[in-house]
Amino acid sequence: MPLFGKSQKSPAELVRSLKDAVTALERGDKKAEKAQEDVSKNLVLIKNMLYGTSDAEPQTDIIVAQLAQELYNTNLLLLLIQNLNRIDFEGKKDVAQVFNNVLRRQIGTRSPTVEYICTKPEILFTLMSGYEHQEIASNCGTMLRECARYEALAKIMLYSDDFYNFFRYVEVSTFDIASDAFSTFKELLTRHKMLCAEFLEANYDKVFSHYQRLLNSENYVTRRQSLKLLGELLLDRHNFSIMTRYITNPDNLKLMMNMLKEKSRNIQFEAFHVFKVFVANPNKPKPILDILLRNQDKLVDFLTKFHTDRSEDEQFNDEKAYLIKQIKELKPSEH
Amino acid sequence: MLSDLRVRGVEVRRRHRGYFKMEPVPETEDLLKNSHFRNNNMYGDVVSTGAYGVFRQKSFGACDGQNNSLVHTLSSYARAARRLSSGKFGTLFNRKMAASANSSSPWPNSQADYELRDVIGVGATAVVYGAFCTPRQEKCAIKRINLEKWNTSMDELLKEIQAMSSCNHENVVTYYTSFVVNDELWLVLRLLEGGSLLDVIKHKMKVTNCKHGVFDEATIATVLKEVLKGLEYFHSNGQIHRDIKAGNILLGEDGTVQIADFGVSAWLATDRDLSRQPVRHTFVGTPCWMAPEVMEQDHGYDFKADIWSFGITAIEMATGTAPYHKYPPMKVLMLTLQNDPPNIDTGADEKEQYKAYGKTFRKMILDCLQKDPSKRPTATELLKHPFFKKAKDRKYLTQTLVAIGPSMETRVHKASKRQPGASGRLHRTVTGEWVWSEEEEEPEPPESDEDSSLGEDHRPMNELQRADSSGSDNEEEPYKDVKVFDSCPSAKEESPTINLVLRLRNSHRELNDIRFEFVMGKDSAEGIASELIGAGLVDPRDSVPISTNLEKLLDAQNAPVPTTPKAVTFHLNSAGPNEQFDDKTLIGFAQISIID
Repeated sequence: MPLFGKSQKSPAELVRSLKDAVTALERGDKKAEKAQEDVSKNLVLIKNMLYGTSDAEPQTDIIVAQLAQELYNTNLLLLLIQNLNRIDFEGKKDVAQVFNNVLRRQIGTRSPTVEYICTKPEILFTLMSGYEHQEIASNCGTMLRECARYEALAKIMLYSDDFYNFFRYVEVSTFDIASDAFSTFKELLTRHKMLCAEFLEANYDKVFSHYQRLLNSENYVTRRQSLKLLGELLLDRHNFSIMTRYITNPDNLKLMMNMLKEKSRNIQFEAFHVFKVFVANPNKPKPILDILLRNQDKLVDFLTKFHTDRSEDEQFNDEKAYLIKQIKELKPSEH
Repeated sequence: MLSDLRVRGVEVRRRHRGYFKMEPVPETEDLLKNSHFRNNNMYGDVVSTGAYGVFRQKSFGACDGQNNSLVHTLSSYARAARRLSSGKFGTLFNRKMAASANSSSPWPNSQADYELRDVIGVGATAVVYGAFCTPRQEKCAIKRINLEKWNTSMDELLKEIQAMSSCNHENVVTYYTSFVVNDELWLVLRLLEGGSLLDVIKHKMKVTNCKHGVFDEATIATVLKEVLKGLEYFHSNGQIHRDIKAGNILLGEDGTVQIADFGVSAWLATDRDLSRQPVRHTFVGTPCWMAPEVMEQDHGYDFKADIWSFGITAIEMATGTAPYHKYPPMKVLMLTLQNDPPNIDTGADEKEQYKAYGKTFRKMILDCLQKDPSKRPTATELLKHPFFKKAKDRKYLTQTLVAIGPSMETRVHKASKRQPGASGRLHRTVTGEWVWSEEEEEPEPPESDEDSSLGEDHRPMNELQRADSSGSDNEEEPYKDVKVFDSCPSAKEESPTINLVLRLRNSHRELNDIRFEFVMGKDSAEGIASELIGAGLVDPRDSVPISTNLEKLLDAQNAPVPTTPKAVTFHLNSAGPNEQFDDKTLIGFAQISIID
């Protein structure tokens, strides 16, 4: 041990000793405890190199570039993520911080780490499966959402089979994990508008049959959150063709009409914002029109009394008045 | 300040009624004719008809919308944790890492695995229970948050819970798990049975003579050292607590000290990327403990804001209250901004009242309470301060704090005697207005769709809890709370209205008239000054000269003297030292006049 100052390890040395430590930790032999310590220590050193400390500025671009290059060459990012559950509490957070920092690194307009991960999509799939494990879920979520900011990475995740696991993750019993998964799920479905619209169009049936399960979930939060997101998705102009498809299905209309009558006012309110699209559609298909006509009087009556205390919300009241007028004026189709 | 004020007149809506109308005054104007007491209609031809712009409230940054919404998920827990009547199941606190490390049986996510016992806190959207987890045979606290009443987004709730769950430190409240039961969120937390430090302070002041100080230095050092360790961890995590005070420091029976109430805590940077977003621009916290830079909202603030609050908390532990606890919130803001930093003696009734406290302690407080945040030490640096050499161990606290803690009966009694205004919270409503919520509110009727605990178990403690904690959780009716800007509580029978003009130069040295109404009996000079500052129309440093002179002018109106002045010109505090002061051209001066 040096007596004076800290021995400044080079990025290559740091990455190598971290890799050795993680490998030892993975083996889980007698030396595991020592390995645990080494992992934590080296993670902190790398983190300080990237973020600096209260006493030291972050390292220069050259050092950081070397560090990143070593991380790619050794595939250490993947190894860290695969062993995340073996790393201690603070170390897990450090992994996420190091990962996100390296991910954001840019050379001109290029994002080298994004390019690297594109060649190693296993990193993304390992992160996504992190939601299976309570103790690493939120750390993985932090990294996943950073990944989702990049269209190329979002695309890999959206078009993978693993994406459909999210429909399960958002319903797990631990609230913070389910909510974390939901925010990643939402990020993937809304961040890159064109990509999302293309994805939803290409996979409409599969996505919406899964989505239906969320809307019918036993879990109040899942129901409320997924209904709200549905409204946002349908009302996004990029998703116009998805919306038109959604509002031609009478089952969807029935579901929304039932949700309008849910006990929860929040759910009623979100359902209203989906329901209104069915009514506002100028070209209602016959099955939709039939349902609305059959319930014409009841709907007018229901809407008239619907959330009358929201007098401050002008837009809502305008929309409600518009819906009432539309429904009143509905006539059987001429055919 | 507001650069768009430079070109055109603006209207700033006041809190309850009326507007501040601000108009530029052409420099060619014969200022002399306005300078001293003159005829009544002297402003008749002065007002330029500049187009009215739209006043936009200054942006407080990205986290703006959250203020109101970070509605203290845990705040009632903070006030809540306390002694439960039952002591049958020994205290098996498998401290920390319980959720993950105790793999034998993790904290369950099922309602059936928990027995709810006493209600230990009630707010508008949440009820806190002492509870028992059967599979683990362990006590815990459960906060039931009604999500139907939670009007803000789930994302805010998630952020707050993540702030907690990303902490693993013995001085930060321990989060076990959370799950959904019907339309409620159940948060399972460690139960700290000693109550909050504020409870202990209040109790001790009730039962013993604390005139010369509440706790000895060793106790203070011991508690504060634990708090500092928690803060150090918090800050290293990229988080700012933003509401450090005795009321948010909880005590365990074993002398554990934990920081609670993440209700207003914020991530300094998204995803803890410390390089991306260096400062916050949100106005949250409790005024008495609030750092000047948080009040000013101009430059943003960082971890150092917590160090200020920590310094105030140190004073609180010595004297029993925050230095300006006697004053209404807006006055606290003014005193904090204008005066030298407070110290132990600031709130003393007599000289030498607190002479028992030594130099080292005073120096430590002085270090924390420096107006320039960059001069304050970090939590890590502060831990090395000589004062904390006086700190003893946890066991010491069980003797000096926990053992003397209040019994339930005294808590009830005490609650009824709390001074309004002593503690509370300034927060923004959905409409963007700042309101002050008392922590001491009238008890609400229990919202009892509930089982036994509220129904049969109607012991006095429950009453206390409601009285104690409904205020800050009560985001549903902010207007029920005390209003920040109304310092005159009740209106008189008739309320004559006086129209006034304040003429002064803005920070760009351009002359402006600000017109406003003063309703006798409803408005106060101080209130007007605060409003002007709140609206960004005048420099906070000028609050006192404006309110004093406005008051002087108005008082003169009530005196039945025929030569009553209609205007007053006075020196401003905000004038730079290099100014050529001139009361004629109003450089370094301002003028208030009455217009009939």
